[in-house]
Amino acid sequence: MIRPRRARTALLWSIALVAALIALFPFYWMLNTSLKPASEVFVSPPTFFSAHWSLDAYANLFATRSIGRYFVNSLIVAVGSTLLSVFLAALAAYGLTRFFPRGATPFVMFLLFTKMLPETLLIIPYFQLMSDVGLLNTHFALILAYSSFALPFSVWMLIGFFRSIPREIDEAAMMDGATVLQTFVRVVLPLARPGLVAVALFTFLIAWNSYVWALVLTTDASMFVLSVGIANMVGEYRVQWNELMAAAVIAALPVMVLYSLLERHLVTAITAGAVKG
Amino acid sequence: MTPRRRRRAGYAFVAPVAAFLAAVVVFPLGHAFWTSLHRVRGLNATFVGLDNYRRIFGDDAFWHSLAVSAAFTGSAVALHLLLGLGLALVVNELRVGRTALRIVFLTPWMVAPAVGATIWLWLLEPQFGVVNYLLRAAGLISAPVAWLGEPGTAFAAIVAVDVWRGVPFVMLLMIAGLQTIPAEQYEAASMDGAGAAARFRFVTWPNLRYLVVVASTLDLINTIRHYDIIGVMTGGGPAGATEVLPALIYNTAFRGNRLGEAAAIGVALLAIVLALAIVYVRIARPERGEAAR
Repeated sequence: MIRPRRARTALLWSIALVAALIALFPFYWMLNTSLKPASEVFVSPPTFFSAHWSLDAYANLFATRSIGRYFVNSLIVAVGSTLLSVFLAALAAYGLTRFFPRGATPFVMFLLFTKMLPETLLIIPYFQLMSDVGLLNTHFALILAYSSFALPFSVWMLIGFFRSIPREIDEAAMMDGATVLQTFVRVVLPLARPGLVAVALFTFLIAWNSYVWALVLTTDASMFVLSVGIANMVGEYRVQWNELMAAAVIAALPVMVLYSLLERHLVTAITAGAVKG
Repeated sequence: MTPRRRRRAGYAFVAPVAAFLAAVVVFPLGHAFWTSLHRVRGLNATFVGLDNYRRIFGDDAFWHSLAVSAAFTGSAVALHLLLGLGLALVVNELRVGRTALRIVFLTPWMVAPAVGATIWLWLLEPQFGVVNYLLRAAGLISAPVAWLGEPGTAFAAIVAVDVWRGVPFVMLLMIAGLQTIPAEQYEAASMDGAGAAARFRFVTWPNLRYLVVVASTLDLINTIRHYDIIGVMTGGGPAGATEVLPALIYNTAFRGNRLGEAAAIGVALLAIVLALAIVYVRIARPERGEAAR
């Protein structure tokens, strides 16, 4: 009985490891290429390890391009969207669960609908409207856009969280003389912290990773975010792949760090709703 | 608190979001419909009724793009489900390293699609790309392939990259689903002498079937709208081989500068998504969903 069991575990592990290799190899290659000197990028066969790994590509990238600027733009937009979206979502979810428990359902259906709108349809009016009011090439336009499609999910998730906090807790606080706002801020919000963290993380990642909105809403190179700046480098006459991969590392690293620190929260966020039926 | 004051307090909480969504979702959506009924030239818009719709439905480009979208979405979603469920079953069986594997598998999904697509451009580069090198070393191809230069291989490439990115999401849902299956059911099946295949058929599948349907509808909705990978890798080319509907919309609007027609195609895509969404809502009844805990 022991033999087949061991063989089975070995088989399962080999499948898992092959899959892990496929999942991660592109990232290894990104890192490997970004550390190579320019002369070694265009050699055949390619080197899987290099004796000449260095940070030259990164240094070049910062010296010759506005990658720092793109990074700051991405950061401003992602943090701005996160703050706006979490603030609005917390208010709405609390209001719905505490004051309009029956109204929550139609509202959630509406949110679901907005979550499914095709981005490429919405970017057309966004482009027209933002250029009408002179908001093209502003962080604000991107913050509005990202909040608009992070918000439905955030409200939906937080409704679940606030429902799980017993209303007796609010009532007790109000009996003690707290106002509605005080109850919300001092009593309920701290209890909903895991939900707020998950929602904030999710919004940050959506905004940080987004591409097509920034592609359309920014035309001035000084306003590019990382994803657009990187995709633009691809179109160049002679692509410096080591520098391009260095830029990809800079875009991917914050996501990976955040994600590995807060994996549990994020998994909760992703599986919420879909699994619980 | 009096009921009236309660009501007022409630409105104060909900109003900001309602106003925000009206401004950034409802109004732009209405504006998109408006645009689809106009011919837009710079700042001038002329009302043309349903002309844009007539034009796109009379144009082969739309039907071609619809077929590409169907092929892309169909094959990508089928592969997401097959591989996602398979990997979930594997990961779920392992005693150790589950969390580590989950983190590893999810990485392609966390990184920006535009950035992932850029990495793949380099992997698939014809002359110095590592994919051609590995395939040649393994003897699978004899000469370097220009993956994104030929219609057939370009289509396969964007499906492959979308699968690389999309499998983790389905896998994650499936792992969560597998963990809700009570262990007693498996024990009872084993007592009855059920082997691995029978356990899957009589315990795992009936428990998971609902989730598979929900996940596939959700994944269909997400995949048919997806633009970023295709936008970065091919922009819809070569010769329209990868021009899915979102790419056609983008190209019509921002390369062809025909916003009215683009909006009309967008409305058609919206109709498809809504049809899928109705299916999703009927099956999943997500409004009852207790979100995370």
